[in-house]
Amino acid sequence: MSLHLLLKSLLRRKVVTLLLLVQLALTLALLVNSLLLAGQTRDKLNEPTGLDLPHILQVQLKPTTTDLRAQPLLGDLLERQLAAVRTLPGVKAVAYANQGPVRQGGNQGNLYDPNDEARTNVPSIPAYIVSPDFFAALGLKLLEGQLPQTAVPLDGEVRSPMVLTRSLAEKIFPNRSAVGLDTSYAPVAAVVEDFFGHLMATEIMYNRIQVAPLLGVDWGYALLINTEPSATENIRQQLPDLLRQIDPNIEIFYIRTLKEQHQRLYSNEFGLATLLGILSGLMLLVAMVSSYSNAHFHALKQQQEIGIKRALGASKQLIFLELLSENWLTTALGALLGVAAALALNKMLASVISLNALSWWLPLLVSLVLLVCVTVATWYPARIATSVSPATATKTL
Amino acid sequence: MEQFFYYVKVSWVSIKRAPLPYALTVFILSLGLGVFFANATFYYQMNSDPLPHKSDKLFYPMTLMVPYECNDCLPPRIHSYSNVQKLSASDIPTAKVAMYSSDGYLRLSSSQAPTPVSIRITQPAFFSMFEVPLLHGSVWSDDKARQELILSKQTAEKIFGRSNVVGEKVLLDDRHYTVIGVLDNWQMLPRLYDANNRNHVNDADQVYMPLETGYDYNYMSNSQSHTFDDTDFRQLGTQGRTGALHQLQFWVQLDTQAQQQAYRQFMDNLVADEKKAGRHQSTPNNQLVAMRDIVRFFGGESADIKAFALVTLLFLGVCLFNASHLSLNRYLSNQYEFSLRRALGASRLQLQQQMLADVLLMTLFCTLCGLLIAWGGVELLNYLWPANRLFGRWDPTLLLLLLGLTLSSSYLVTLYPSLRASFGGLNQQLKE
Amino acid sequence: MIQLKNLSKVFRTELIETHALRQIELQVSEGEFVALTGPSGSGKSTLLNVLGTLEHFDEGDYLLDGQSVRGLSDRQLSALRNEKIGFIFQGFNLIKDYSLLDNIELPLRYRGISASERKRRALEALELVGLAARKDYHPSQLSGGQQQRVAIARAIAGQPRILLADEPTGNLDSLMARQVMELLEQINRQGCTILMVTHDPDQARRASRQVQIVDGQLSDAAMYDPLAVKLA
Ligand SMILES: Nc1ncnc2c1ncn2[C@@H]1O[C@H](COP(=O)(O)OP(=O)(O)OP(=O)(O)O)[C@@H](O)[C@H]1O
Ligand SMILES: [Mg+2]
Repeated sequence: MSLHLLLKSLLRRKVVTLLLLVQLALTLALLVNSLLLAGQTRDKLNEPTGLDLPHILQVQLKPTTTDLRAQPLLGDLLERQLAAVRTLPGVKAVAYANQGPVRQGGNQGNLYDPNDEARTNVPSIPAYIVSPDFFAALGLKLLEGQLPQTAVPLDGEVRSPMVLTRSLAEKIFPNRSAVGLDTSYAPVAAVVEDFFGHLMATEIMYNRIQVAPLLGVDWGYALLINTEPSATENIRQQLPDLLRQIDPNIEIFYIRTLKEQHQRLYSNEFGLATLLGILSGLMLLVAMVSSYSNAHFHALKQQQEIGIKRALGASKQLIFLELLSENWLTTALGALLGVAAALALNKMLASVISLNALSWWLPLLVSLVLLVCVTVATWYPARIATSVSPATATKTL
Repeated sequence: MEQFFYYVKVSWVSIKRAPLPYALTVFILSLGLGVFFANATFYYQMNSDPLPHKSDKLFYPMTLMVPYECNDCLPPRIHSYSNVQKLSASDIPTAKVAMYSSDGYLRLSSSQAPTPVSIRITQPAFFSMFEVPLLHGSVWSDDKARQELILSKQTAEKIFGRSNVVGEKVLLDDRHYTVIGVLDNWQMLPRLYDANNRNHVNDADQVYMPLETGYDYNYMSNSQSHTFDDTDFRQLGTQGRTGALHQLQFWVQLDTQAQQQAYRQFMDNLVADEKKAGRHQSTPNNQLVAMRDIVRFFGGESADIKAFALVTLLFLGVCLFNASHLSLNRYLSNQYEFSLRRALGASRLQLQQQMLADVLLMTLFCTLCGLLIAWGGVELLNYLWPANRLFGRWDPTLLLLLLGLTLSSSYLVTLYPSLRASFGGLNQQLKE
Repeated sequence: MIQLKNLSKVFRTELIETHALRQIELQVSEGEFVALTGPSGSGKSTLLNVLGTLEHFDEGDYLLDGQSVRGLSDRQLSALRNEKIGFIFQGFNLIKDYSLLDNIELPLRYRGISASERKRRALEALELVGLAARKDYHPSQLSGGQQQRVAIARAIAGQPRILLADEPTGNLDSLMARQVMELLEQINRQGCTILMVTHDPDQARRASRQVQIVDGQLSDAAMYDPLAVKLA
């Protein structure tokens, strides 16, 4: 069997071969890029968040009457809700907050070192207004300073002290302890470990927290509940009724674990990766159908040729190998084209969505997968073709 | 006609002789078309123009009249109350409207359970500028604050059980209002009047409230609001009207080139005067964006749909290649018969008519299968990207487009192979 | 060199059994030119196919160079065909997609002969049949007689010891047929054993020996007295 002859016979079927090559190339390009995107999405879903995502529940809710949405009734409502939730078995800590973590965006503010505004200003930082148990509810580790123990009103005489996450503290006060220093809003009382705040903030891990009463909840508010792993689901079930018992004038928008919240953040990426995955599967299927039908048709058409070759001394094995290697050759050529196509598609996709550059091994891997699929699809028709009787095939009509 | 049926019959017989390759061809072609069409549905609907005769006459002005200094910033996308008043103080626009959206709870009496509703807080011009159809009643006669609401038809039906509820009383967030109008079914798609924060993919609002009333009762925007000074957002009625609390969207209607030019000039003068008066320091950066460009300007185009559109186009390409490949194989295995027929005296024309019958039959099958696959695809896309669900629907134009696409694809897939079969060297084929 | 012992071949389909060959006893020695004749459907082609190991047989034995082909594997049989046997078919059976040269080189290729040697031998064979000038043509560009000459060139390029020809002139006019016959005789003179199926009594007469098959059996006359056949 010779490459030279294979190439020659491919060249004699220019159009068919070209169609096959283009198709294989496109398949490879798509497969490579969907794998890339799928990997990327998986990486995002596995990124560190600094939070025990599956076991922290967030209830998003809003009072349905105007009085309940402002002080003093709001403060009372919050106290009653927190007290009630605390009694549920398996609750480790519960806190209110104007907004939960692990979100796209929300209430944000800026912050800087008043001595060096130009250099240290961070424009978009999630600004949390919370009850003292917020840190326990998120399981945040205290790194330095002291966590505020009581809620200090934001519109009062005394400024409510601020808690920063580690990376934000390092950004605003590089190379020194932030505790006790003044910021553009309030002095820093403590620094806690980083956690995932808003995706749209300057940095995901930047967060500023003030322990204070909520002034108004026109946008709703969150109850954050840290649970024993075994009790999470149970607590989630009980919460709606419990909260409505405390006060029926509320709308509960959702109760989610932070893990679900995190997945929802990337649901678009997940959706695209899923779609591309499905499409890749379909493309592989199409490639296999094409290989199969090509081999099948070819074998039919070549019955005579195969018969002649058998008469001239080619063994069954040799013919089988010849048929397979013809497909391997086209696959290899297609894969070669496909690498170029994959690079081009990568460029085009990267211009509309965020997509990493290709690594060298991915096209290689996908070529291999393609090769396996094509081989599987060719196997059966090739087997049939080799079992053709040379005596029959060489018989004249 | 009879001749045509004969050709269709011949096609059918040749399909029946080798159903598998034909079925595969149809399957692959419909797969490509269906997948492409499912995504194209969203792409087409999201990029469609809901007001084609007006979308180049409605403009969204933006200025950098803010209390911070910035010399290479884009202006904020939302306005403060005072800036809107300054931008409205001109007779140049044919119409102008400020608005924002908020949430509330609607009920008939305090004993009833509240229904959460989305509220558009706006001015009377909104309804004429965006051609909102009114079913009953009327809109507010001027821009003043008043205890009057306009409801969407569904909301009226939900709360009252009927649509003609003009003059009825309702409670919105525990305040009494009179219903003065009910809208007819209306859903601008995409909702270009609210393109900030990708809100253009959302449902139409359920309740409409006068802008001044919204400010008096301290309704905050539920989409985006920004305080650039120390305005207390709980004092919307007072500080909110003077301070740098930005939350309003603002549209002007400029029908002619001259009006547009004049309004640009007006904005330039306004910003320059304000700067001279020391009310802001930034280098002016005025924008006047037409409604048809607003989504692009705000960067709200769906990257995922676009990316997937690219990919499905490729997939369609692959399927076309593949189907023509399959069909070429099919024709080549019939080639002997083709040649024989030509040797027996069939003219090229007759063979081409035969081919036409093949194309039509293929189109029929592919349209049916393609629609089925597209339907499944739309369902899948709705499931994976629920935010876009409003756009997953078909209209006659779109369906016609599909039919055209299927026809041309079938033609392409059948053309080359049958040309090969009917125009190839006759003697060579018989000899082989 | 060829020895058939009591060889039988039955074709079985769902409906009928055809006894294509019955208890064939045949010996052919080195250098003979054997003409196989017989009425249509009598089993000539089948016999040739069995001789060429393209077809299996049911009973008896077939010794080639004293070695039985029974129980040889497909690979061994292929090698045997490749090295010892050349085929010429009524329908030429050239490979359309290959040039003449590639067609002729094919059996040499299977034998693993180097490219230069392959080319030399193929050209030599083409030279012999007088078509060297058209080595890069494709079969469809040749006339029937030319195609058959290429088929002969392919059969002899591997220098087989046996040439099996099934009605090699069946599709040719008499002039072409004579040319082909002369070619075969020339090859036979160089020491190659030839078995040829023919319907043409003149051609059969030119062979060194005639064998007649009737209804799958060698007729007695043919077995012992070639002359008797000629008279009959
Ligand atoms: N593959 C087969 N399956 C079934 N029967 C077969 C097969 N091949 C040949 N036969 C039968 O075997 C018998 C011998 O056939 P063969 O081809 O050997 O005849 P032949 O002598 O070469 O005839 P002709 O002169 O017409 O070529 C015939 O009756 C034929 O029908
Ligand atoms: Mg015969």
